[in-house]
Amino acid sequence: MKIIVPVKRVASLDDEFEMREDGRDVEPDFCEFDLNEFDEYSIEAAVQIKEANPDAGVEVIALTIGPEDADEVLRKALAKGADRAIRIWQDALEGSDQIAIARIIAKVVEREQPSLVLCGAQSSDHAHAETGMAVAGLVHWPHAAVITHLDYRPGAQSALVERELEGGLVERLELETPAVVTIQLGINKPRYASLRSIKQANAKPLDVLTAEELGLSEAEIGVPGSLSRVRRMFPPDRRRSEMIEGTPAQQAARLLEIIKETLH
Amino acid sequence: MIPNGIDQTEVTRILFQDFTPWMVALFYAYAVAAIAAFVWGVYVQARKYLRGVHPKSIAWPALTRRAAQAAYVIASHASVRRRDRSAGWLHAAIFYGFVLLFVGTSIITLDHDIAPVFHARFWYGAFYLVFKLTMNVAGAALIAGVLYMMYRRGWLRPPKLDYARPDRNPADADFDRTSYRIEDWAFLWTLILIGITGFIASGARLVWLQHEPAVWQTRWWSPVGAMVANLLQGLGFDAQGAGILRMALWWTHGLLALTFIALIPYTKAKHIVTAAATWLMRDPAAVARLPQGRLDQGSIGYKFIGDLDSRYLLQADTCTKCGRCHEACPARAAGYPLSPRDLILTIREHANRELGEFFPRAHEPISLIGEGVAQIRPDTLWACRQCGACTEICPVAVEHVPLINMFRRTLVDEGVMDPGLQRTLGAVNKTGNSFNESRRKRPQWTKQLPFAIKDARKEPVDVLWFVGDYASFDPRNQKVSRAFAKILHAAGVDFGILYEGETTAGNDIRRVGEEGLYQELAHGNIEALAKCTFDRIVTTDPHSYNTLKNEYRDFGGVYQVDHASAFLRELVASGRIALKQKLDYTVTYHDPCHLGRLNKGYDPPRDVIAQTGANLVELARNRDNSFCCGGGGGRVWIPDPPGTTKVGEIRAREAAEIEGLDVLLVNCPKCMTMLEDAVKTSGNEGKFRVLELTELLAEAMDLEARPAAKLALEAN
Repeated sequence: MKIIVPVKRVASLDDEFEMREDGRDVEPDFCEFDLNEFDEYSIEAAVQIKEANPDAGVEVIALTIGPEDADEVLRKALAKGADRAIRIWQDALEGSDQIAIARIIAKVVEREQPSLVLCGAQSSDHAHAETGMAVAGLVHWPHAAVITHLDYRPGAQSALVERELEGGLVERLELETPAVVTIQLGINKPRYASLRSIKQANAKPLDVLTAEELGLSEAEIGVPGSLSRVRRMFPPDRRRSEMIEGTPAQQAARLLEIIKETLH
Repeated sequence: MIPNGIDQTEVTRILFQDFTPWMVALFYAYAVAAIAAFVWGVYVQARKYLRGVHPKSIAWPALTRRAAQAAYVIASHASVRRRDRSAGWLHAAIFYGFVLLFVGTSIITLDHDIAPVFHARFWYGAFYLVFKLTMNVAGAALIAGVLYMMYRRGWLRPPKLDYARPDRNPADADFDRTSYRIEDWAFLWTLILIGITGFIASGARLVWLQHEPAVWQTRWWSPVGAMVANLLQGLGFDAQGAGILRMALWWTHGLLALTFIALIPYTKAKHIVTAAATWLMRDPAAVARLPQGRLDQGSIGYKFIGDLDSRYLLQADTCTKCGRCHEACPARAAGYPLSPRDLILTIREHANRELGEFFPRAHEPISLIGEGVAQIRPDTLWACRQCGACTEICPVAVEHVPLINMFRRTLVDEGVMDPGLQRTLGAVNKTGNSFNESRRKRPQWTKQLPFAIKDARKEPVDVLWFVGDYASFDPRNQKVSRAFAKILHAAGVDFGILYEGETTAGNDIRRVGEEGLYQELAHGNIEALAKCTFDRIVTTDPHSYNTLKNEYRDFGGVYQVDHASAFLRELVASGRIALKQKLDYTVTYHDPCHLGRLNKGYDPPRDVIAQTGANLVELARNRDNSFCCGGGGGRVWIPDPPGTTKVGEIRAREAAEIEGLDVLLVNCPKCMTMLEDAVKTSGNEGKFRVLELTELLAEAMDLEARPAAKLALEAN
């Protein structure tokens, strides 16, 4: 029985950064990269199912789409307990939107036939929160988004999930499996991957495939396969904040000044 | 010496005088049994130690020097006298009394059982009389020492001898330490009874043999025995009665002494033997240079008792529960569930259960870390600041710090840690600093300087300044970094920094127990440093200083590293720094653990303070007894639970007790962060300033503005 966990290498921004020349993204020099925080929880959820059922032969597969740099997030997933990893890349994938990405994930899902696909609810950098649900749509599987509880025993025909609604209302759903769910932060306590375990994860299998090998044509991936594209990214014009310094009396005086200025 | 008319061969003691053959046989049988029990005990203990991890053949670097040092420590009792002089001196009395009595008994055995074979008896005449006198002095010393120890345990009751465990609740099964208390008292009573019965037997013998001039006329060579004899006569004992008394006491004394020998390997008495071994094997850099972990092995830290190095098992057995570590531990003082003593005793108890059985049986090993009986709790391990106060003061060379670190490596590997710490480790992994800031921002503090600092990656420098995390990112410490830069600039020092090329040196990452990440950081920095040309490294951060100096060499990075305080002392001494002001402050100085205890950098900062003219009043605990700010061992990243006393608050209060204090001087960015906070939370804000030594010097150089009033903080 397999669980696929799609993961993403996300960028986090410095407070000062510059835009790429084409204005459609941030200059990568100003970013620090790491495993998407939401995916920490989906990996943990998958590994917990595996560990709770040691004799069920659960295989956790971490999957990502990206160039070689993205291996680091797969290694982290492997260090946390995934059994093997798959990375899909070819240059033509550049410019894929979330639906094109979902198309690739769906192909892997069809190939591996997992019982569950556990996605993070969204990526912390682009925050579409669409990829997971798009995968479910493409493979025509039952799905639930932004779940806060997951109860699944390997071999069972269904999974019990909970979602938090408006006003703290809890919705409990029974989903027939195989199913796709996206996981909310806080569903569990993600474990730490020590650097030793990340290094030792090098010994676990990591397969690199192209979208072509998955049977996707050029028209289905990258810019041609995407119905949306980023036209421009820009930081909003925002007033610079002011740090009020000095003795408490000086600070109070400056504060009063600002209040007066604003009132005029 | 020998009275006239007495043949000197008669001046001796006839062993087993008036004993029937079966009595002699019985005694020898008991002696052989006692020695057999001793030997078996030694075997069981040695087998236990050897079930730990140890090299096939022991390499003994500098064996003669080690042996000389161990002999010095034991003979001088220097380690036992530290911070407890009376107990130390009286322990010396017991020690020397015991050694002399042991040597004396051996001499008798030699004369009685071995010398006759060679027709070479020597235990008579003048030698015998001097021997008797020596034994009397030794016995009196032993009794005096033990009496004091009884007085100390029974009446003085120093808090460090209170065995109440901070790492357990009274309801826990292994909270109770009664068995240890019984052992302590049984040990003292056995020793004192051996001494007392010896003297009474000696006095009774004198009365019994009062008609033999060779005995009676030389009796004052055993002054204590002679006094007892007088007393017995006063009580009405005649020769016959004394003979019976002597027989009874002889047996009591003999059987007690033999029983004591038999029990040495099984009781706390074993420290007589094992302490010599722990001193011989002691690693003087145990705290400063932690064990190098192998990342390619199945495990990275200690989890089961069999994972431990044999020497640690030996150390755990050697602990005499003296409580010096318990007293010195900052975590214990602030109410955290850690006492280094109890941790060591837990390891001992676990080792006895798992490895010390009479007849070992195969069984599944039990984790040493856990919440159960004879297990160390994760909270206990996380309470440690790795400050080295315990290891520093241990009189029997127990190395708590690396031990705790080895357990933490397992906790980190299994992810058993505070979520805040986990985030910090994640941040360091991602960005190379513990502030989760972008690498690009590391040199931003330099932008406010009126001059540019050289980029050591691009041009050669004399001094490479390794800035470190806290000095780079923390706003308060950035001020200090700028002050240091201004001083170096004013002194005309050719210096540079690594800019974005530096990552945290990793000292505290290692002390947290994230050995893999530490090694990655060390390799990265060593690689960056290898591309630069410089003569020496200077850093204001004692943590970076420690690991660069002592630990990077294990990974190929060998440098001359100096802490800023030593470098500043050099600059002042050579006249490159011009001091324009004599500061009239009353200051006190907090020794950072990593500079002081770990690297013995006690004097350079004090010399610099003296140069500024400031009046230094020492804190109650200073130098090797310095009290951690609370931020060591990664605790700077772990929030203290609400409602607990912060370790730093204890220190802040200690400083606040100094009358007329203007400045609490720190010499470490982490101490600055911790103590500045602690001064506020302990309600001492505004009473004195917290300054870095560097800032004090900058004020004396007129590089930094001095506060108009002595206490500018309370001006408003």
